[in-house]
Amino acid sequence: MASQNMDPAAAAASSTVALKGSESGGSAARSSVSKRLQQELMTLMMSGDKGISAFPESDNLFKWIGTIDGAQGTVYEGLRYRLSLDFPAGYPYQAPRVKFVTPCFHPNVDEQGFICLDILKDKWSALYDVRSILLSIQSLLGEPNNESPLNMTAAELWEDQEAFKAHLHSTFQK
Amino acid sequence: MFLVTLNSSHSSVKSCMSVGILSIMLCVFVCVQEAIMDGTEVAVSPRSLHSELMCPICLDMLKNTMTTKECLHRFCSDCIVTALRSGNKECPTCRKKLVSRRSLRRDSNFDALISKIYPSRDEYEAHQRRVLDRLNRLHNKEALSSSIEEGLRQQARYRSERNHRVKKQTQESDNTTFSGGEDNGDARSHLSHDSAPSHTPHPCGQTPSEAGPSRKRPRVSDDGSGPEADSGSPTPPMRRHKEGPASEIELVFRPHPQLVHDQDYNQTRYVKTTANATVDHLSKYLALRIALEDRQTNGETEEGGGGEDRGAEGGEQGGGGESGRAAAGGGGGGEGSSLSNISEKQYTIYIMTRGGQFSTLNGSLTLELVNEKYWKVRRPLELYYAPTKDQQQPQPQQQPQQKSPPSQRDG
Repeated sequence: MASQNMDPAAAAASSTVALKGSESGGSAARSSVSKRLQQELMTLMMSGDKGISAFPESDNLFKWIGTIDGAQGTVYEGLRYRLSLDFPAGYPYQAPRVKFVTPCFHPNVDEQGFICLDILKDKWSALYDVRSILLSIQSLLGEPNNESPLNMTAAELWEDQEAFKAHLHSTFQK
Repeated sequence: MFLVTLNSSHSSVKSCMSVGILSIMLCVFVCVQEAIMDGTEVAVSPRSLHSELMCPICLDMLKNTMTTKECLHRFCSDCIVTALRSGNKECPTCRKKLVSRRSLRRDSNFDALISKIYPSRDEYEAHQRRVLDRLNRLHNKEALSSSIEEGLRQQARYRSERNHRVKKQTQESDNTTFSGGEDNGDARSHLSHDSAPSHTPHPCGQTPSEAGPSRKRPRVSDDGSGPEADSGSPTPPMRRHKEGPASEIELVFRPHPQLVHDQDYNQTRYVKTTANATVDHLSKYLALRIALEDRQTNGETEEGGGGEDRGAEGGEQGGGGESGRAAAGGGGGGEGSSLSNISEKQYTIYIMTRGGQFSTLNGSLTLELVNEKYWKVRRPLELYYAPTKDQQQPQPQQQPQQKSPPSQRDG
């Protein structure tokens, strides 16, 4: 990682810049992030959205595991994907790191499970939350952006939905 | 326009303060078109009220409200300032360009409104902090207990490896795998109990007695407090039951109410072991436990300081001797002598049938079979023990050369 070669002072500055009330110290900022994540967890559990779910992986509130069911009417229907969500200390001002844990054959997902999605990068807004991320990824599954594919094979195969579906289901592994 | 309404309704807020929160809210939010000045009440759900007063960034109640000048979206001052500093220069809600802080203005009316509706905000925040603190403590505790669990698991692995070596020396072939969950009140053994799946399937994972003489002395006091703790808790402590490779079974092991007398050994034990263990295994385990405890209470005084020395040099031997294979005459030297007579014949195991009758269990039945055949309900299996008639007391000196299998007796 590039961060290893960074000037420690600069690294510290860049990470605290995103923290709410950086003068109040790391633990306070961390607790405000915890608070928001707890709120999200609560609303997520209350909302009962179909096809998406997420829960902290263990005691650590900053690492979640989410699941997405392929939407009806898409080639992904009937497939369930697990994703990991990794929240930085600067959340929600910085996007969480989201990647597929279940291998996903998709034009905008690479072999490591990394997702090319603008709202997880430059289009991130502090208003997005776990729920909106998972819903966005769910809709991305059915509507890939073939302009900037990470997986060329998938992008080329997408035109032929039957073949895509056949390949997808034959290679799907939980 | 919204701003104007807010201002006008602000006066009405004051006037109907006594009517209650909900009626206030309706004044404010429902009268966007036309201010209601006559005190008409309209119901607003707490949820929609909350979503109006909430900052979409921290998901908490707005604090030092800032409103975007162009698109009129509200945020906490801290939240929006941090968002603009760390992200794109746009409104987090609608992506309208926000050039700088000057695109925002302080919304003191809204702050006043919130403090009217929630005058006890400080209290509310203090409460939230308390809840959060408690949650964090809980997390820490869990982290602590899981690390303890991990440590115990490693100890058990090491111990079972060590026992394995000793076992080869004494050529013992007892396969009982009782994982000592019966030590009530002892946090360590409960934890080791919880982590049992990792080591119980191992043929010689005897947690309670394998620690060797060095651990024996503190355990005496643990066991001393046993009976009270035992009889005090009618149900076994809740346990996470992880599915191991070999399935496990939990059971409550009580003295037979009619056949066990007050002066006899009469502790209730909670045991978790593999479902493959047989009734004989259980019986032998019990006999061993009793002999061990007997020896600990009787032998403690006479052994005195000598026990410590042996603990140092004979640790492995002693641990091996205690690990349930003394029955075949293993165990090192004089220490093992009292344990060498342990037999599954000393105790008979019963189960209570539907009519309240006690029926003897055949020694060769596996616990899994017993559970399926006699128990069937979804709670830990309950078994009863009593000394076999010919051997009322588990006399260590007595040779267990019983020819008649205990299973022929009827309770």
